[in-house]
Amino acid sequence: MTISEIMTTSISTITSGKSVSYAAEQMNEDNTRWLVVIDHGVVMGVVTSRDVLSAHPNRIVADAMSGYPSRFSADLNVWEAHSYLQENNGEVALIMDGERLIGVLTKEAVRVKIAEFIDPLTGLYEAPYIQYVGEQFLKENIPFHLLFIDLNDFGQINKKHGHPFGDDVIRRYSSVLASFAAEKGDHLCRYAGDEFVMISTADEDQVQKGIALLTQPTHIRNVRISAAVGHVNGYEEPDFFSYSLRDLMEKASLESSAAKIQNDYPTFTT
Amino acid sequence: MSSEKNVYSRKATLSLKISEFEVPPMQDMLIIGRKAPIGPEAVRRMAEALSPEQFTLIKMDHPKIEAVLLRNTLLQMLDEKLLMKIVLEESERMISDSMVLRSELKIAVSIQREVDLL
Repeated sequence: MTISEIMTTSISTITSGKSVSYAAEQMNEDNTRWLVVIDHGVVMGVVTSRDVLSAHPNRIVADAMSGYPSRFSADLNVWEAHSYLQENNGEVALIMDGERLIGVLTKEAVRVKIAEFIDPLTGLYEAPYIQYVGEQFLKENIPFHLLFIDLNDFGQINKKHGHPFGDDVIRRYSSVLASFAAEKGDHLCRYAGDEFVMISTADEDQVQKGIALLTQPTHIRNVRISAAVGHVNGYEEPDFFSYSLRDLMEKASLESSAAKIQNDYPTFTT
Repeated sequence: MSSEKNVYSRKATLSLKISEFEVPPMQDMLIIGRKAPIGPEAVRRMAEALSPEQFTLIKMDHPKIEAVLLRNTLLQMLDEKLLMKIVLEESERMISDSMVLRSELKIAVSIQREVDLL
């Protein structure tokens, strides 16, 4: 999923010596919220509608441009572009082929694309997010803990208490997971149904405390809920970087199944 | 007869004041407010067009003042930080963020030396 799929190739331009009021008129005419500023064939930056609103109309565009936009190549992953734009608080990025401007990427376009991968029930990212994060870490030789979290007997819960209650369980458990992940800056997704995957770079102690917390049975409306966690420790796993993310997920998922059998928690105590 | 009564005329009076154009037309310093109608880059371009290589633009981290344009010779005589400190102290009391102030800034050096008599 690269930004070439969502970038805009129809580019409105302006020179840096034009007035801010002229830029505003051109934005209206071209029905756009940004203009690429080009002087003598050289890209100087971008002026956005926000810049235009906050600058005196008599100023020249060069004095209204806010900072210099990020430059990406068209094959950049959407997730990566998303995190760059978040970090730099950029509204617009320029897509370059070497020194040639070939498109513009707006934060809005990235946000819309990313929203396609947000699970509507829990608000968590879906599997492609963790796929990207994990593969990126492996590519950069950054070790991590991979946690595969699977709710115990979720099918039974749905059958006995109904799917709306099952949804409540998923939502409540997700919010616990999300606050746990947010504390340490971990990456989390709802992998499928009642399965979640977390990638953490926290230290071993913290991860073990987290596993203990996540596997501790809890009650939602008098129904006991528990989860099994499969853990692959990238700091200790021999040849960790020789595995693909798929292999590691498989390993963590099998560990979670093994933990399920070993613990054999009674799920229901109504 | 009646057409003579309805004569219509329009006249214009011109008034000219002519004085010598000073080259360069800039003074020693311009202090540019953050919301001024003319921004630092426009000022820099103007100075560069009128008096090439004679002025330096200094961007400021100040709530009201965005930048100061200074004649280079002033910076050769005084340390930039010291000069900016004085300029800010004096100008921030009267400037609003929508103003551009112009200023003359002359530096006079007085010297007194004591030497041994022959």
